[in-house]
Amino acid sequence: MSEISLKATGRGRRRLLVNRAAESTAVLAAAAAIAVLAVVLWSVGSRGIGAINVDFFIKGPSSDIFGGGGGIAPAIVGSLLLVAVAVAIALPTGVLTAIYVSEFAPKAIGRQVRLWLDVLNGFPSIVIGIFVFALAVKVKVPVLGIGGRQSAIAGGSALAVIMLPLVARSTMEVLALVPVHLREASLALGVSKWQTVLRVVLPTSFGGILTGTTLAVARAAGETAPLLFTCAIAGQIVDWNPTHSVQSIPLTIFEYSESANPAQHQQAWAAAFILIVFVLVTSLTSRLLLERSRKKLGLSR
Amino acid sequence: MEAASVPAGLPRTRRLGDRIGDGVLYGLTAFAAFLAVLVVAAIVWRVAAGAWPAIRAFHLGFLWHNQWNAVFDEFGARDFIIGTVVTSFGAILLSAPLSIAIGLFLSELAPPAIRTPIGSLVDMLAAVPSVVIGLWGIYVLAPFNAQHLQTFIHSILGWIPIFGGDPHTPTTMFSAIVVLTIMTLPITSSICRELFLGVPEELEEGALGLGATRWEMVRTVVVPSVRGGVVAAVILGLGRALGEAIAVTQVIGNFIPLHASLFSPGDTIASRVANQYQGATTNLQIAALIYLALILLVITFITNLAAQRVIKRFEFQRTGGG
Amino acid sequence: MRSRRVHAGGMTKRLTIILAALAVALTAATAAGAKSNDTTITGAGSTFVAPLVSAWTPALGHAFGYTIQYSAVGSGAGIAAITNHQVDFGASDAPLNSAQQSACPDCLQIPWALSAVSVFYNVPGAPVHVRLDGATISKIFLGQITNWNDPAIAKLNPGGNFPNLKITPVFRSDGSGTSYAFTDYLSSVNQTWKSKIGVSTQPAFPAGVGAKGSSGVAGSVANTKGAIGYVDIAYAIANHLHFAAVKNAAGKFLYPSLRRIQAAALAFPKVPANNELHIVNPPKSAKLAYPISTYTYVIVRKNSTHAAELRKMIFWALTTGQSSQFAAKLTFAKMSTVPKVLVAAEKTLKQIHSAA
Repeated sequence: MSEISLKATGRGRRRLLVNRAAESTAVLAAAAAIAVLAVVLWSVGSRGIGAINVDFFIKGPSSDIFGGGGGIAPAIVGSLLLVAVAVAIALPTGVLTAIYVSEFAPKAIGRQVRLWLDVLNGFPSIVIGIFVFALAVKVKVPVLGIGGRQSAIAGGSALAVIMLPLVARSTMEVLALVPVHLREASLALGVSKWQTVLRVVLPTSFGGILTGTTLAVARAAGETAPLLFTCAIAGQIVDWNPTHSVQSIPLTIFEYSESANPAQHQQAWAAAFILIVFVLVTSLTSRLLLERSRKKLGLSR
Repeated sequence: MEAASVPAGLPRTRRLGDRIGDGVLYGLTAFAAFLAVLVVAAIVWRVAAGAWPAIRAFHLGFLWHNQWNAVFDEFGARDFIIGTVVTSFGAILLSAPLSIAIGLFLSELAPPAIRTPIGSLVDMLAAVPSVVIGLWGIYVLAPFNAQHLQTFIHSILGWIPIFGGDPHTPTTMFSAIVVLTIMTLPITSSICRELFLGVPEELEEGALGLGATRWEMVRTVVVPSVRGGVVAAVILGLGRALGEAIAVTQVIGNFIPLHASLFSPGDTIASRVANQYQGATTNLQIAALIYLALILLVITFITNLAAQRVIKRFEFQRTGGG
Repeated sequence: MRSRRVHAGGMTKRLTIILAALAVALTAATAAGAKSNDTTITGAGSTFVAPLVSAWTPALGHAFGYTIQYSAVGSGAGIAAITNHQVDFGASDAPLNSAQQSACPDCLQIPWALSAVSVFYNVPGAPVHVRLDGATISKIFLGQITNWNDPAIAKLNPGGNFPNLKITPVFRSDGSGTSYAFTDYLSSVNQTWKSKIGVSTQPAFPAGVGAKGSSGVAGSVANTKGAIGYVDIAYAIANHLHFAAVKNAAGKFLYPSLRRIQAAALAFPKVPANNELHIVNPPKSAKLAYPISTYTYVIVRKNSTHAAELRKMIFWALTTGQSSQFAAKLTFAKMSTVPKVLVAAEKTLKQIHSAA
């Protein structure tokens, strides 16, 4: 009896080759994506590292425009201020909206709200900048005392509009994950609805809300286009006043990248590096928090 | 699993305070939701209002006239619309297959140990802000394209008009397409990964058990069952590409009229608005720029609704009509 | 790991305390920030004059205690900023057009510095000194001359050996006063340019590639063999760019220099009522003039909150600020060499009053 070879031939062999090709393509695709990330991180890091020193973080731009030195302290402070304003607006609004959809709204209305939040999420950020400009920069806003000029409040509002759908959607998802029996137990004991939401549902979802907000902050911190119209012309010193226009890291990168001063180019790369690090750290932290809160609710993968 | 339980000491009777509290919470949350939806309408309204002087001056002809001259107040959107569509579709043409491949890699093919780290790395690409990608684009990618990538493609495919012309210009439509591909890739691939992971294991193992190779299993079981979701993911990526202003404006060359070749400079709606808005010289130019923004808004709105439609149908199909 | 059972109520309490503390801190910070420094003067606009303003800033601080905060966002954005009351002064290389003047009827423009635009290129294998004239430059930017070996260029550079290389014009895609000065020159030497494209901070260039900012243009030219662009002379010198000798009306091929910029300015001594000055393409009598020179303006409101400070600052800029340590180092010619313009500028200054 001749030995039967187990090696595939003909059609079987072709199928194996196709399989191998497909697998290689998938590996190559992933490798390409990671290679691009590595190249970007490497370019930014290697070009910017020279400008990163203590002065970079605590000083403002130097007055010698063709010389070196100075830093981006005003931009760092400005970005913090903008994000603080954005969170102060988007977090309560987003969480309250999510509570409405998950606790109070009839199904049809809840679907509508979700739909329009998704539509809002898809709006180009530059359009949102134009919207806030027309509403709060070009005209004076009665009562609130802002308007007539660019300000951190206007810029923060534009960022808040961008953050809102993200915060609302992630909060909705987390609220939906709260076990029904918790709510029912609380209500069965005679606890009112609002107490149930505030003392039972929200604390349980706290981790998820934090995660969603952190991800939204990571997104908003890097936005440039909306700030072009609402908070772009600002001074060179550290300014904590939200009714003033303030510097911001993304706009500083944008301006320095086209500046006449090669030292500012290096600072643009350095600022880009800091921004990436910030966004990466917040994204990773929020992912870790998400994993932790999922495990707590017994849903870890 | 630690179970959270009802805190001790909560009131157990239904008092006036409770009724008021319920009402207040309902009112607050309903108002917030109403605000969120109102913002959408307000945005559309304000953009339309800002564009009105230009709409009145140019009517719908704005869409197919092709000039942009601030000196003589002659404005038309045609090549910006074409540029937007070409760059965005070009980007998803490249990123969609790559995203599917990466999604498959992360869900099916990679050893379980490296799935999370690699997945995190791909997601990190999404974390890079667009201004940084733009900065990297001008100083690293564009010269690379001009000196190597574009010339390489031109040497092989130069007989096709879109790859014709002189490939030595750094800031081109092609550079913009590459930048947009990099930006849409993480979004689409992470959604694809979630979709592929969601396919029931029994289906996959059934196919494997019947003797299919991994690729055949993917082709016949996984992909068809999540086809709708993949389409939705691609459309969402498209929406992101359509609206991208900063990274595109830095590498696209800011020039109209468009040439046939991708290796020549061009422009998109978002890029032109970002570039010219701050320094606009006449009120009609400002209105024309907002008119452009309105067109972009309509395009992204339609794209978004299309994605929602596909998702709805996909959900319906996946849950068996339930 | 927190025990949720006991701390559910405590969590809310903690959150409230944190939020309250944040609110207090923010209010305190705002109050501190709101204690405005009366001698802070804000400005925005031209990148062309930004190096000079930057050099002036510490000197003004020493002389008067003023803190100048200047944002180089471009001439167009600077005009928009002063129109929208966002800054104390705007800076623009382009004078206000009629639309901008009617949007800001209160606005005054005062020429306060004087420099030039250079035309630079990236042509490996070109002769060291490239000569160009207005007709050739305008035809290049019109897209009518497309190769460096064109006979028109050869005619201007006898003996020079230019490679067979496509010309890529590079222009500013954002609102730029440098574009205004450059297109002002092109319009005066080429009728087709004047009628089809005109003069603007955002002209519709018919050929080439756009880039944002001086650095964008310089980068684009550096990365494209055969490219040609325009940029202010201070930038070109600081970055060691190769720029062309441009032919003036008297037939001389000249590089930009302080004396040649002054010669161009002196060829136009008359100052109109609104201070709008065009000194490109001076007539034949200005033998030593560099033909692409330009004034740059500071734009202020007749009624300003910082009227006295602005008057002092601008006067200082027109006089002490023009001394060599500031101006000449950055290739800005002295305003004192054009006394009629200086007098007109100082007269306009007097119109600035405190806001009621």
